Amino acid sequence: MDRDSVLKEVRQRLKDDILDVFDKSAKRVYIGIKPGSIRKAAQVLFKDLGARFNIASGVDTRSHMEILYHFTFDDINLLISLRVMLPKDKLEIDSLAPLFEGANWIEREMNELLGITFNGHPDMRRLLLPEEWPEGVYPLRCDYREWDKDAIRDRGV
Amino acid sequence: MSIKLKALLKSPWVFHLSTGSCNNCDIEVLDCLTPRFDIERFGMLLAGSIRHADVLLVTGSANRKSVVRLKQLYEQVPKPCLVVAIGECSLSRGMFIHSYNCPVPLDKIIPVDVYIPGCPPKPEAIIAGVVKLINRVSEKAAAKK
Repeated sequence: MDRDSVLKEVRQRLKDDILDVFDKSAKRVYIGIKPGSIRKAAQVLFKDLGARFNIASGVDTRSHMEILYHFTFDDINLLISLRVMLPKDKLEIDSLAPLFEGANWIEREMNELLGITFNGHPDMRRLLLPEEWPEGVYPLRCDYREWDKDAIRDRGV
Repeated sequence: MSIKLKALLKSPWVFHLSTGSCNNCDIEVLDCLTPRFDIERFGMLLAGSIRHADVLLVTGSANRKSVVRLKQLYEQVPKPCLVVAIGECSLSRGMFIHSYNCPVPLDKIIPVDVYIPGCPPKPEAIIAGVVKLINRVSEKAAAKK
């Protein structure tokens, strides 16, 4: 299966769910997806077309919270990034962890660092932050302010 | 000079602790132990357990999770012990000074005897720092007597 047939197949099977397709280069394609249909899109890419789930990344942009799910086709050297824009007042999306185990930890990380809720995640515990970290403070958001009164932020010289 | 201090300075066993470093300082510490720099000519050996060590080599920026482990280890070192901070991160946290996860510098957590700056410091700098420390401690002990 080559690049064109993969993209054609994706466009055909997800034609109601795709918002935009940005063909960046020969090995990189961004596909905007509606937040509600991320599980269907992942199903098509991962289960049906045989892509590998590489990683997901969350970005706090000015207007939206953005999640990119990176899927790679290693044999044809193609990286497809599914882009989901979540409104800031409703940070919820379906979890992909029931589909493939690789999404488990990255969703836990995005949950604690950005505060995105993943519905249907099997085991939503803290992954990186320490126990004494307060609830509801998300360090990678734009509006994060220092909460720790004991922190020392000078170089001591 | 007490027999304890004499034994410590004759052959300081070092324990190497990384508190969230990028591993570059750790590679340089490892370099010191290899035949090219051969830190063993000063009697220094890498100790496998903190309970056998005299010198604690700390690298990294002391993040919130590793501070707990750092305090535990410092309680377990046989005293007297010397603490060596290696690299910019353990001195002042370097580029991570405003990080949400690195609130307090290392020398506000445990007492530090010698600072070795650099990102990473050369093995020569690490050896020079430790040798200077040994000389200073033995001079101090001799002056006290």
